Amino acid sequence: MNNLIEIHNITKNYHTKEGEISAIKDFNLNLKKGEIVSIVGPSGCGKSTLLSIIANLDSDYQGEIIQHNLKIAYMLQNAALLPYLTIYENAILGLKINHQLTKENLAYVDYLFDLYNLNDFKNNYPKSLSGGMKQRIALIRTLSLKPDLLLLDEPFSALDEQSKLIISEDVYKIIKEKNITAILVTHNIEEAIYFSDKIVVLSKRPAIIKNIISINCENNTSIYERRKDPNFHKYFDTIWKDLDINES
Amino acid sequence: MSPEQKKFLKNLKLTKYKVIFLQIAILVIFLGLWEFLTFKGIISPFIYSSPSKIFSTIIDLIHSHNFFIHIYITLKEVLIAFFLGISLGFIIALILYEWKFLAKVIDPYLTMFNSLPKVALGPLIIIAGGANIKSVILMALLINLIISIITIYNGFLCTDEYCFKLFKTLHATKLQTLLYLVIPNSYQTIITSLKLCLSQTLVGVLMGEFLVSKQGIGYLIVYGKQVFNLNIVMSGIIILALISYILYKFITILEKKLLKHI
Repeated sequence: MNNLIEIHNITKNYHTKEGEISAIKDFNLNLKKGEIVSIVGPSGCGKSTLLSIIANLDSDYQGEIIQHNLKIAYMLQNAALLPYLTIYENAILGLKINHQLTKENLAYVDYLFDLYNLNDFKNNYPKSLSGGMKQRIALIRTLSLKPDLLLLDEPFSALDEQSKLIISEDVYKIIKEKNITAILVTHNIEEAIYFSDKIVVLSKRPAIIKNIISINCENNTSIYERRKDPNFHKYFDTIWKDLDINES
Repeated sequence: MSPEQKKFLKNLKLTKYKVIFLQIAILVIFLGLWEFLTFKGIISPFIYSSPSKIFSTIIDLIHSHNFFIHIYITLKEVLIAFFLGISLGFIIALILYEWKFLAKVIDPYLTMFNSLPKVALGPLIIIAGGANIKSVILMALLINLIISIITIYNGFLCTDEYCFKLFKTLHATKLQTLLYLVIPNSYQTIITSLKLCLSQTLVGVLMGEFLVSKQGIGYLIVYGKQVFNLNIVMSGIIILALISYILYKFITILEKKLLKHI
């Protein structure tokens, strides 16, 4: 029993004037320390809802999540930087809100600014940054909380292709370096393969697990290397079939 | 600095000077034309006065009618009503934002009161409050408060849903979300409501002074009308325009400061 988090039989229904909508049905998942799991599925199937439940942002569900005081951090699709704060103030926003502006944490933020070559922009305002740089700041803001579990809600989907590769490499490397457990929600099959150790394929709404695929790449040093893996296309085909986009 | 950069900066400066020059030129032409037309009798100097007469009337008023007291009284009424309107508007908007059920309940009353011509309440205010400065301020407050509440409340409601989600993921408390997100995010709307509140306050104070006052620019205008000295009326209007311009300028300075990076 060395699971970091255990998710048992999660079921989620929405209540509207028109009636009850079943969003997720009997979702089960166990994650070990340092494991990266991607969740893929058709648009609107309930992937982000699932992340909200795991992050404890939504408590209106059936089922059980077993975890022991995990520090959970959430990275969104949009950097959501506040335009009236400087880049640095944005980066330490999570620490400020959680009353964790300690010397050690601020030194870690400085280290991340150094790592991503953003030191010169600390006193700038978000409007002067590119999309990729903004998402890096959002990454620093998320990592500054030193999470045990990192939830990534399509964090690369709003980026251009080049920035997407750079930022996903940043995230992958830091996750591996710090041995952080992560769940990535994405609609991009390639991204799911080069990023994760395990992929959960969901059906259309109500989301039920169609398949869980373990990804075993020969070289895990970077996502660039993982993309070159000989089994990459085999994994892609399996997920593509599971997703069955023609399914009505 | 490269010659191109120098040229660019020079052009920027030149445009700025051109704008100032044209602004002054419009004023000079307007005043000159006004003076000329009344001097030649093309338009009635009795009804429309003239810049020179307005100037001499202001000088006379300074000497004989405690002119600065009138300005002081109006300015005092405007500032008190303005700060009361904007502060109460902000507090009530916050309460409605935090208590959306209450907002739903009072929505039709707010709409009704907003569309009501508040000047109709004038006689009621005079009888209830008497002919004093309090009644003038109350009149202005009735006019500026509802618009402040509605504008600021709508500004709070326009906070980006995505940023709300961010604050939820960071486990921010309601107070933190309010202080770090909702209020700063509404700076633009708050500035708009300051501008609206100022113009509504001026209307309210003038209305109040027309109805009940014994001092103030509004009183001067009514007095000028009663004694058929339209130079006094015109002087009052000019002074009011200057007061509103100066107060508006303060808001634009605040606007530049608050919205510098947005």
